[in-house]
Amino acid sequence: MSSGTDKDVEVKDTTEEHSDNSENAKSDSMSKDEAKKFYEEKGLDLSPDVPVKPKPIPAFEKSLADKISSKFGDKIRVDYIRSDRIRVTTKREDIVDVAKFIRDELKYDHAESVSGVDYPDSSEIEVIYHLGSYTDEKLGRQIFALATRVPREDVPNPGSDATRTPSLRDVFYSVEFHERECFEMFGVYFEGHPDMRRLLLPEDWADIPPFRKDFKIKGR
Amino acid sequence: MTTQLPPGMHLETVDDKIMTLNVGPQHPGSGHMRLIIKVDGDYIVSCDPDPGYVHRGEEKMAEYRNYIQNIPHLERPVIHDSSNILYPYCLGVEELLGIEVPERAKYIRVIAAELNRCIYILYWLAIYGIFLGHSTMFMWPAGDRELFIDLLEAMSGARVTHAYLVPGGVRNDLPSNFEERCLRQVEYFEKRLKEYEAIFYQNPLLKARTEGSGILSRTDAIRLGTTGSVLRASGVDFDVRKKEPYDVYENLDFQTIVMKEGDSYARSRIPYLEMFESCRIIKDALKKMPKSGSVRTKLKPNPKGGNDEVYRRVESGRGAIGYYIVSNNRPEPYRVKISVGSFRNLICMPYLLKGEKLGNMPAVYWGLNYWPVEADR
Amino acid sequence: MSTIAPQFRLSRFIGSLFDLIFWVILIFSLVGLPIVFIVLFYIKLPVINGQLMTPYLAMTWMADPSRTLPIVKNFMHTTIFRVMAFPGFGFAALLAAATIFVERKFLAKMQLRVGPLYCGKIEGILQLMGDGFKLMSKEIIIPAKADKPIFWMGPLLFVGAAGAFVSLIPVAPGWVVANPNVGLLAVFAVIGFFPIIAVLTAWAANSKWTFIGGLRALHQMVAFEIPLILSLLGVVILSGSLNLSQIVESQEHFWWIAFLPIGAIVFFITILAELERVPFDLPEAESEIVAGWLTEFSGMMYGLIQLGTYLKLYAFAGLFTVLFLGGWNGPMVWPPFPQDIITQGITIGPVTAKFPGLPLFDQEMLNGTLWFVIKTVGVILLILLPRGVFPRVRIDMILHTGWYKLIGLAFINIFIALGLLYAGVLGPGGLLH
Repeated sequence: MSSGTDKDVEVKDTTEEHSDNSENAKSDSMSKDEAKKFYEEKGLDLSPDVPVKPKPIPAFEKSLADKISSKFGDKIRVDYIRSDRIRVTTKREDIVDVAKFIRDELKYDHAESVSGVDYPDSSEIEVIYHLGSYTDEKLGRQIFALATRVPREDVPNPGSDATRTPSLRDVFYSVEFHERECFEMFGVYFEGHPDMRRLLLPEDWADIPPFRKDFKIKGR
Repeated sequence: MTTQLPPGMHLETVDDKIMTLNVGPQHPGSGHMRLIIKVDGDYIVSCDPDPGYVHRGEEKMAEYRNYIQNIPHLERPVIHDSSNILYPYCLGVEELLGIEVPERAKYIRVIAAELNRCIYILYWLAIYGIFLGHSTMFMWPAGDRELFIDLLEAMSGARVTHAYLVPGGVRNDLPSNFEERCLRQVEYFEKRLKEYEAIFYQNPLLKARTEGSGILSRTDAIRLGTTGSVLRASGVDFDVRKKEPYDVYENLDFQTIVMKEGDSYARSRIPYLEMFESCRIIKDALKKMPKSGSVRTKLKPNPKGGNDEVYRRVESGRGAIGYYIVSNNRPEPYRVKISVGSFRNLICMPYLLKGEKLGNMPAVYWGLNYWPVEADR
Repeated sequence: MSTIAPQFRLSRFIGSLFDLIFWVILIFSLVGLPIVFIVLFYIKLPVINGQLMTPYLAMTWMADPSRTLPIVKNFMHTTIFRVMAFPGFGFAALLAAATIFVERKFLAKMQLRVGPLYCGKIEGILQLMGDGFKLMSKEIIIPAKADKPIFWMGPLLFVGAAGAFVSLIPVAPGWVVANPNVGLLAVFAVIGFFPIIAVLTAWAANSKWTFIGGLRALHQMVAFEIPLILSLLGVVILSGSLNLSQIVESQEHFWWIAFLPIGAIVFFITILAELERVPFDLPEAESEIVAGWLTEFSGMMYGLIQLGTYLKLYAFAGLFTVLFLGGWNGPMVWPPFPQDIITQGITIGPVTAKFPGLPLFDQEMLNGTLWFVIKTVGVILLILLPRGVFPRVRIDMILHTGWYKLIGLAFINIFIALGLLYAGVLGPGGLLH
């Protein structure tokens, strides 16, 4: 899973604040169907709606993931393998090597998106590259998510603080504008990017990066 | 110069030979964005796209609303293609919440998505026409677009911002005589499309102007990570509807249009040819659609996603749209990232316009199938 | 309750009208009439029916409708009438206005629209007047760093040059404002002004877009002036004259387009380029350079430029008619003026009104004007047609066309004319003359 265990606990706490504690405790003692019926009668909806059904791990995706884990060993962590989707987390020091391996050996050739996800509780920002392939027929439906985590500072100073990671622009040319967007929205500085300027925000934006969780929308 | 500038700002050196042109945001040929173009005589030396004039923070807004409340505002980035930009969101939320979609709803979604694709392409084509100074090509698609708007109005009740697709199906069933009306209008539209060919695409002046301008090779198209018509015009056979079929696209009869040239003419022609394929899809879907049945799986109020994440994508009028949704046991998504075709194709702009003539700028710029509002999100 | 005139009283309103009339009469008789007399003192007055037209006599005759016509007729032969009304500015402006209206409806029908519809009840016929009033009432904005005198002068010069061009076009036998022996050379000279005006105003506006647009206009017009001049040499060779009226007279039997179709085509294409019409409207290409050299014009300054453009359109179409389509020549279709009205007058009940001085225009002139207008309107429609069909071309394409292709074609045209002349087919003393 993407988020650490500490964060999970914290999130659950906040959930319970919103809901009723006694109801929640009851749901644990009941079977799943009973609980569902109980909540539907009361018009309440407390449990996550995801049915827990373990899916079989698809073979092709497993082979790709095996290739990369045999090469890098414990430098990387395979988060999940699902049909058409693989996700791998690595440290930011190793991300360029991993990306080069993905490009050269696994034949992924472009980035579809670069997303940042802010985790203030663990004081980290996650940067996720979603990679795809045009050249390889078999990889047409595949998306390879390569994630890394960078430290987060409470008082950000984009470009000058420790929130930085190597840029993948030399590996995947197509991340150029995505990384610029990530830089202005999360304050993650991509080292080695040739043109690390703002893209969408106005030039005189003087607030913290707006997609961080501590930037609140007015009135919300 | 010792002044320390904050990131995001930079100093420019001024050259007497080079003239800097601000194409936009108040410029009839820019849309809601700015291209900072430097010209040397009639040749463009460099182009620096400056989007963001309509950045509304849709992704941030999505973090404050629950999965159902997010529907109407997530279609705002490109209201002409509203079904297609909602489509991956619905698919992603369905995967997160584990919802099954009724068979009839899947067909209706495909029909709505293809009608919307035609609306978008016609709108885009109208602007492409007027950018090249062809005023008839501005009026004709803008008028024919009404056909599909009327159809979608009959389906959803709204003319432009439908919010028709919802997680779990579509919002309401088709009206009673929809099938024959849709079939009639689509057949009429196919006849009209052939007239476009005669007045616009076979026009010798248009060909002379756009053929060979702004050539993007196959290697570069892949390296730059382009998508949609830009990619297919450069000879890459990639369409999400074929490669990763969602809903019922694998049952439907259509083909991907690919051209080898990679120039502005090919890029403008691919969306036009795709409208024929859209008409085929609509007709085929109307034939294969179950004639009755449920169209929406009702969700529980305020549904919560698990501690999970999902990445789903569809093919829109401008290329692949991907939604990366992270949830954390809350009714609201923790993070929504929209990866849109316009934003991905934006990277071509400095690449293609460099060294191009200023007169080719509108053809290359709008040929990229770029929608500034969508790119800003 | 409307708040437009809350204190309105009808009696006060009528009183104010009388007040106004009183003051107008007083000022007119104390100031206006003396000025009229002073002016008339210095003007040589005409002799009509054996009587010298003094101011008193003129006013006496004006009061009697049956004796007004000789004055009017006399006035119609003055230069001022020719410049102001026919065949000068008024006629051209009327045709230009009709052209704009026809263009809009024509284009709308091509594009499956309705065009102007509401203003003036009948198919939006007053739309143009509304647009004109709008332009007049708009604020004129001058850029802060513009070179103001030249910037102000631009539209006036443009309309002036277009008017000078219009004045050279003969409409009917003897009906032309200016009839110099080197009429065609005068046309070339006037055409040469337009690029200068475009560049001057573009530079004076001190904006990047106008600068690029002005340079484009300069390049385009200069590139097309040479084929324009060359394409007309064939006509000059065949007709043996530079006077436009004589060129028309030389086409009494055959139009030159029958012998010089290549020249006519080259001239037509250069017309499109000189007029900046689609597909050669690069100086105003809005998707590239906003509105080109017109970017900074607003209000009536823009209106004047538009007026000048359409006057120029009329003049070029008229020139095409004069040079290639036989000008006013055509079969006599205009009915002769009824002689009864001249000899017996019109009898309405007990009153018999005699109108000495009729007819105002002779039959030949009316017939010539009719044919000229028909041909010119046809050419104008042909000039407007590409707007619905073609996209804009690029500046390098247009210059290539002008410098390479059209000049070559124009030379071929000259050789054809020379061949016809030396073969003894046409020209002075030729087979067909």
